[in-house]
Amino acid sequence: MDGVTQFLRFTSFANFTWGHLVMLAIGCLFIFLAIKKEYEPLLLIPIGFGILIGNIPFFENVGLQIGIYEEGSVLNYLYFGVTKGIYPPLIFLGIGAMTDFSALLSNPKLMLLGAAAQVGIFLTFMAALVLGFTQEQAAAIGIIGGADGPTAIFLSSRLAPELIGAIAIAAYSYMALVPVIQPPIIKLLTSKEERVIRMKPPRSVSKLEKILFPIVGLLLTTFISPGALPLLGMLFFGNLLKESGVTKRLSDTASKAMIDIVTILLGLTVGASTQATTFLTPQSILIFVLGAVSFAIATAGGVIFAKVMNLFLKGDERINPMIGAAGVSAVPDSARVVQSLGLKEDSSNYLLMHAMAPNVSGVIGSAVAAGILMGFLLKAV
Amino acid sequence: MIIQEITKTDSLSAIKDTVIQSSANTLGEITFAPEKLLESNGLMISIVGYGIVFLALLLLYLFIRTLTKTLFTKQKKRLIAKGESIHPEVDLSVPGEVTAAIGMAINLYFDSQHDIESTVLTIKKVQRPYSPWSSKLYGLRHYPNK
Repeated sequence: MDGVTQFLRFTSFANFTWGHLVMLAIGCLFIFLAIKKEYEPLLLIPIGFGILIGNIPFFENVGLQIGIYEEGSVLNYLYFGVTKGIYPPLIFLGIGAMTDFSALLSNPKLMLLGAAAQVGIFLTFMAALVLGFTQEQAAAIGIIGGADGPTAIFLSSRLAPELIGAIAIAAYSYMALVPVIQPPIIKLLTSKEERVIRMKPPRSVSKLEKILFPIVGLLLTTFISPGALPLLGMLFFGNLLKESGVTKRLSDTASKAMIDIVTILLGLTVGASTQATTFLTPQSILIFVLGAVSFAIATAGGVIFAKVMNLFLKGDERINPMIGAAGVSAVPDSARVVQSLGLKEDSSNYLLMHAMAPNVSGVIGSAVAAGILMGFLLKAV
Repeated sequence: MIIQEITKTDSLSAIKDTVIQSSANTLGEITFAPEKLLESNGLMISIVGYGIVFLALLLLYLFIRTLTKTLFTKQKKRLIAKGESIHPEVDLSVPGEVTAAIGMAINLYFDSQHDIESTVLTIKKVQRPYSPWSSKLYGLRHYPNK
């Protein structure tokens, strides 16, 4: 009889809390959104299922070695890549190998939109400080505004590892919810006339320009912000693999098999890290709120800056201010949102290529911002 | 081994309490302290940080612009030296509708291609024995008029 009692104590029913139920429901919601609404399924399916895995209640801290926070467990080993910031640079390598910077190279002034949208990071950093978070935690929360999951994980693994689960979930959730969050902000800040502005088609870009860009881009950005080296180094390396034209096999592996493997491991472990016993706290909810604010400010920052740029541009040089919203680095979701909004206003106005420019520039901008914050704050750690 | 370890602990709820308490302690309490902005140099970090992001991307922009101009100038000189006509303003852009039409045509073309034809015939004679479960008569919602 003792054996049966012992067994029952080990079942999930005996260790169940309402927190687990809430988290399981959130996991199911993520999976639903991914399948039914097709919101970033490549991210939401692994994260959603990871949440389910991480929230199966079990008898903790007795050496079973099954939980993600228990040393020696398989999940703990896989989570090592998140806590030590290994996965984000590998993801950046894949992104670099997939990204075509032609749109940016053909109209480089759009790069400034990617810088403008980073305002969300710094305003949220200040807001988090005011709300009582430490400098390091505030910086890690602020980076959610960059809408860049790998960068958010990378920075929080360095500055505030205790918040990594909440920050990663918030960052990826908002990346997935780009089609829901951005359109109302864009519409609020732009007029009908502005939304139908047609932009000059991008010019063709030479191979030499494409090859030089990752090399010079790396040198310029990492000399200013060396903290971003692991991310930007991999991003530009991946891009050189693609653009050089002589390393097709490496570029294919980085942009397909490798990024897929890392995405699976990252998504699953980030999801599993949301164990209800450590995740469901008032701070986590506050992080979610701050993340949403940060993302909204970043979107608004890009759109407003595009409008300001238009004050100095004439004729066909003018830009459609909607593409400013793509300055957040959710690639290519924000660019797609701008494209669909543009088509709604004018069915023959294709903005995708134009929006890709600030979008990829946002990736560089948010990584630079992360490097700067590390530069300022790592001294204090 | 596990059973021994369990007996060392007081109870299941005690373990849970310890975990929850430790996580709460790690994260601290939510407060509202505007003075922390100045005390912890938050304002300075934000302004300088944002400025540096802009500077980094501005430098990159200036570099690309200069590179593009240099490349065009060199190409121009090369063409002049060869005695060929210069068309620096050639518009290589293609309207969206044309791109869409080309995409559609390519899609239709490749869809109609069969690289490998299957030579296996799959036509099979299927016997359909009578069954009241699949009988049309029983499936009718209205009886036919007699």
